[in-house]
Amino acid sequence: MLDIREAIHVLLSGAPSAVCVTTCGFITRDAYGAADRDGNFYLVGSMGMAAPVGLGIALARPERQVIVLDGDGSFAMNPGCLPMIAGQRPNLVHVVLDNAAHESTGGQRTSPLGDPVALALASGYTAAHAVSTLEELRGIDLTGSPALLHVRCEPRSRRPGRRVELTPQQLVARFRRGLAARPLQGEEAVRC
Amino acid sequence: MVMNLTADLPGGQLLDSKNVAQEVVEGFFEAGFRSFTGVPCSLLKGLFRILEDASTPARYVPAPREDSALGVASGLAVAGERPVVMMQNSGLGYSLNVLTSFNLIYDVHMPLIVSWRGHGGNDAVEHDVIGRELTNLLDVFGLAWTVLDPENPRASVEACLKDHDDGRRTSVLIVREGV
Repeated sequence: MLDIREAIHVLLSGAPSAVCVTTCGFITRDAYGAADRDGNFYLVGSMGMAAPVGLGIALARPERQVIVLDGDGSFAMNPGCLPMIAGQRPNLVHVVLDNAAHESTGGQRTSPLGDPVALALASGYTAAHAVSTLEELRGIDLTGSPALLHVRCEPRSRRPGRRVELTPQQLVARFRRGLAARPLQGEEAVRC
Repeated sequence: MVMNLTADLPGGQLLDSKNVAQEVVEGFFEAGFRSFTGVPCSLLKGLFRILEDASTPARYVPAPREDSALGVASGLAVAGERPVVMMQNSGLGYSLNVLTSFNLIYDVHMPLIVSWRGHGGNDAVEHDVIGRELTNLLDVFGLAWTVLDPENPRASVEACLKDHDDGRRTSVLIVREGV
């Protein structure tokens, strides 16, 4: 079982030129705290919409890999988007950070998810993987797109990152600059 | 690029004069709106028939639900495209969370084409309430709306795009009579 912030850091530092869309709540706050960069687009609301928004970005900018960071609760809210995403063949990795809880609202248990890997494959995703250790996450081969990555995580042992301090309009402007800029290379792409 | 939509359409229908649906799609297309997503409505079937035609040079992403269509369109818009979202007015309910917690606070706006089932109260019962309240609902959230005039569809599209104000507002083109 992984620490969510560590999983986010490993995923984003391993894909320095990717852009990233994060679901609302603690995942947005953790990504902001653990791996902020211009290519991150943080949702502060619209639970369940990170993957559709990521699809739209991927369709408009097919040369950029898009990483969607969903939680188990937000994934459970909108599995209907999976076949739509698969049908468009985007350059997209759909990550489900699964700690089996709505931690942002107090740790209530989520509704059953089913098996995200099986759901993704049945929906037409090219590849789908499940990892539950840091070594597995670091060694994952994300060839094939769209891909789903089910990351089994522990409940948070520390407070989530601070709330995003930029206004939503500033987030859009900054992300557009990130899309326009030359993708950064290696660790310089992640400010820890 | 100007669309050529006068070719054969699916079903063997040959259009030798422009119909309302063509005028609407072309109006948006020529203003730079080249991506479309949404969920069908019988009142909008002419629009969807054009977009489903492989010869139409527009991107069309069929969506499973109206909020997901808004999500896809929002991503397209954030990344620099100009999308249009199409839906039955029944889909506005699903859409309200995305409109209020994304589009209206991130200032990422797009035109919506929304049918008006239930207008005048002479429709199937499931459309009565949303049909009665459609424009009130749009007014509550400050969404500017234009009812499509089938006699002058280009002018209606232009009015909707004027309200859209070059991306500054979410505007709605209401389709009351089927196209």
